[in-house]
Order: sequence, then C-alpha cells, then structure tokens
Amino acid sequence: MAEPILRVRNLSVDLGGQKVLEDLDFDLNEKEILIILGPNGAGKSVLLRTLLGLHQFQGQIKWRKDTHIGYVPEGFDVSPDLPLSVKEFFQFKKASPQEISQALRWIGIEGSSQFLEKRLGALSTGQLRRVIIAWALVDKPDVLLLDEPMLGVDIHGRETIYDTLVRLWKKQDQAIILVSHEIGEVAKGADKILALDKKKIFYGNPKNVITAKNLAKIYGGAISL
Amino acid sequence: MEVQFLFSLMTGIFIGGVAGYLGALMITKRMALVGDALGHVALPGVALALIYGFSVSLGALPILILGIVLIWLFEMRTKLPMEALTGIVFTASVAIAFLLLPESQVSAALIGDISQVGFWDTLVSAILSIITLLVLKKIFYKIILANLSENLAKVEHVEVEKYNFIYLACIAVVVALGIKVTGSLLMGALVITPAAAARNFAHNLSQYSYGALIVGSLSCTLGILAFKFSGLPAGPLIILAATLLFLVSLILKRLA
Repeated sequence: MAEPILRVRNLSVDLGGQKVLEDLDFDLNEKEILIILGPNGAGKSVLLRTLLGLHQFQGQIKWRKDTHIGYVPEGFDVSPDLPLSVKEFFQFKKASPQEISQALRWIGIEGSSQFLEKRLGALSTGQLRRVIIAWALVDKPDVLLLDEPMLGVDIHGRETIYDTLVRLWKKQDQAIILVSHEIGEVAKGADKILALDKKKIFYGNPKNVITAKNLAKIYGGAISL
Repeated sequence: MEVQFLFSLMTGIFIGGVAGYLGALMITKRMALVGDALGHVALPGVALALIYGFSVSLGALPILILGIVLIWLFEMRTKLPMEALTGIVFTASVAIAFLLLPESQVSAALIGDISQVGFWDTLVSAILSIITLLVLKKIFYKIILANLSENLAKVEHVEVEKYNFIYLACIAVVVALGIKVTGSLLMGALVITPAAAARNFAHNLSQYSYGALIVGSLSCTLGILAFKFSGLPAGPLIILAATLLFLVSLILKRLA
C-alpha cells in the first residue's frame, strides 16, 4: 500500500500547562476523507493547528514529503469596510483568472466578473466561507483541512456549504480532514471518522463506528442518523 | 526663492505619498493612532536636531527606534497593554523634549517647517520615501493576509513576525520623515487622513493603497501652495488640505 499522506502517532499537546490532546493515533491516505468529531472544547481545532505546525507537540506527525496543504480556518471573518475584492483575495495565491473561476466552479459559484469585483466583506457568511474553500483549493492542494466550515453560518448558507462539501466528496481530487462539532449527513460520505474529547473516543469507518452507543459517548444522549 | 519652493514641494509630495500608502496598512491593522503617538515619542530627537542645527528626521529616527524598543521591552516584562506603555513612553518623551527645547524652536518641532529644506535634505527624503514605498509594496498583501488570519498566513509560509518587524521599521522611517513636514503634533494626521479618505471611495485594495498615496501627495501639494500664497505655516495647511479631501471623499461616498 502507498505511503499515507499523514501519519500521526502518540500525539499529545499541552497548552498553558493543560493537556489538550492525549495519545492520538491515525493515518490519512491519499484522497481519503477523515472527519474529526467531538463536542465543543474537545481539542479538534487545536489538533488541526498542530497538524499545520502552529502548536508545539509531543509524539509524531509525519506528512509525506512535499505535501501541499490547503487550510480553511475557523471563524474567518472580514471587516465589511475592508476594500479587498474577491479577485484580489485570490491574488495572494497568484491565481490566474482561469484558475479562480475554475476553483469557484468547484464549489458551485459562477465566478462572473461582477462577483470577482465584489468586496470580500460584502459577501454573505455562507458565500464568504465557500470563497475561502475555493481559495484553499485554487492551487490544487494534496490535502484540504477544513475547520468547522458551517459554524456561524445561517441556515441557507449551511445548505450551500453542505452542497459544496458533497461536491468535494464526489470529485475526490484531494484528501480532506474536516473538523466538526456536530454530526450530519456529510459524515456518511467519509472514509474514516475520528471522534475525540481530548483522547480518542472512537476511530474507524462510519459504517462500523456510527452507532447509537458510540454517539452517546460523544454527546451524552441517544442520537441517530 | 523659486528653487527653495520646489525643494519644499518635492519633499512634501514624496513624504506625503509614502505616509498615505503606509496609512492604508495602519488603518487596516487598527493602528491609526500609533503614528500620532510615535510623532510625540520622537520629540527629544527633534529638539536636539533643532538646537544643534541638523536634519530633524535624522534626530527623530534614533529616538523613535529607542522608543519602540523600550515599549517592546516593557511589554515583554510587564504584559501591560501596549497602548498604556506607549502612553507612558510618549508623554515622558514630550516632557524631556520641553525641558530641552528653546522657546523659539517650539513651533518648528510641533508643526514642522519645510520652508527651508535644502537640496540634500530633499534628495535624501525622496530616496528614503521611494525605498520605503517599494518595501511596503512588497509586504502589503502579506500584512493584509496576516491581518485577516495569522494562522492562514503562516500556513501559506508567510513569516508573520518578520513582516511585522519590517512594517514597524517602515513606520519609524515614515514618522521620522513626516515630522519634518508637519511636526510631531500633526504627524499622525499625515498617515490617517489620506488613507481614511481613500477608504471612503475605494472598492479594492489597489484603489485604496494608491488612492491613499495620491491623496497624501495632493494634500502636501495643496498645503504647500497655500503656504506660498498665504505665508501661514505649511504643516497645518497640509493637514487642513487632507481634511478637506477627506470631507470631499465623504460626499463622494454619499453620492455613490
């Protein structure tokens, strides 16, 4: 079997003297979708940031050589009065107009020139979140890390983001790690689910691990999909 | 006489432009009042330059660097908010400066005087302004990205600390240059007002940054022309010209 894109062994993270993550093991293979589930404060975002090299850690995090990572941070916000157009936002990545409209099409937005001239801060929360996903995708990363893309988005926006995720699932151009505090339909399309609350709660294929008993372990009640 | 006027005008146009461009970044990073505070921090250096008759900018720069290092050290040691520490350092600087300054030089220190700038002073100001502008242009997008999300910038391999340091160094240079034009009391306006005016009409970053540059240069041009015809001090006239352009931009925003 090919070398995994990411191998994590005995990963522990301390922040300000507190253990935030303890003894995690998992792998991510090429084009695999891994969903990291857990209640608020379980250390999911810390895990993503640690994988990105933004926190100190103990244990092993091994990315395959030359892995190119796309990242969609949690709660990305833009001040409404910042004069930064969608097109200019993509210029941070030196993307050509063709690449921009292609990336926008991947996430289901028709990137008309009018849309590209819009201020980033004038987009709805759902649109903004999707534009950031397109931004992360525009230079074709090997793996995409998404931190709570639904958080703080209104109901209509959530539907559109959900559609975007389903598109990405189907297209399967890159591996994906999605962090979420809620379990939704998207979880069914994943290859692996890692549930954690500082430590691992369960890990495996959704068919095997999404059981009423397991879900109760995360959310402390009976939930079914 | 005419050559002297041209020197003043050139100095103003170059420094006003780079100050406006820098201001576009400073407003975005919510550091608009930093220019104002640093203008005061530099006062002891300005006082020494006026007493011993060398370039005001040359006197201001080392004191500015010393002030920034002091604020940074205090912050590391005390963890007090940056603005409180800046407040302490800038008021202490003003106090020291007023013990040094002869009364006849107070006005030049506080509101600037470019009526007497010479050839070399103009040339050095122009070169420093152009270099600082080029450096700022290079770091502009990276600073904006880091300001949107520091983590995102780091993942994109932007060395955020390095760029913040370069940005601070640019602020020190621009404040030192600007003090010559509008004095330490009015320096803050030279970075805030043109950028705020540009923000009113800009739809994107290039309109914003270059708009601020143009408004900055234009304010200096109008102010220095008004000085030539009225004989009133140039520093306040430049700031009032910038304020006027800001008001015009507000009207344009209303109409748009």
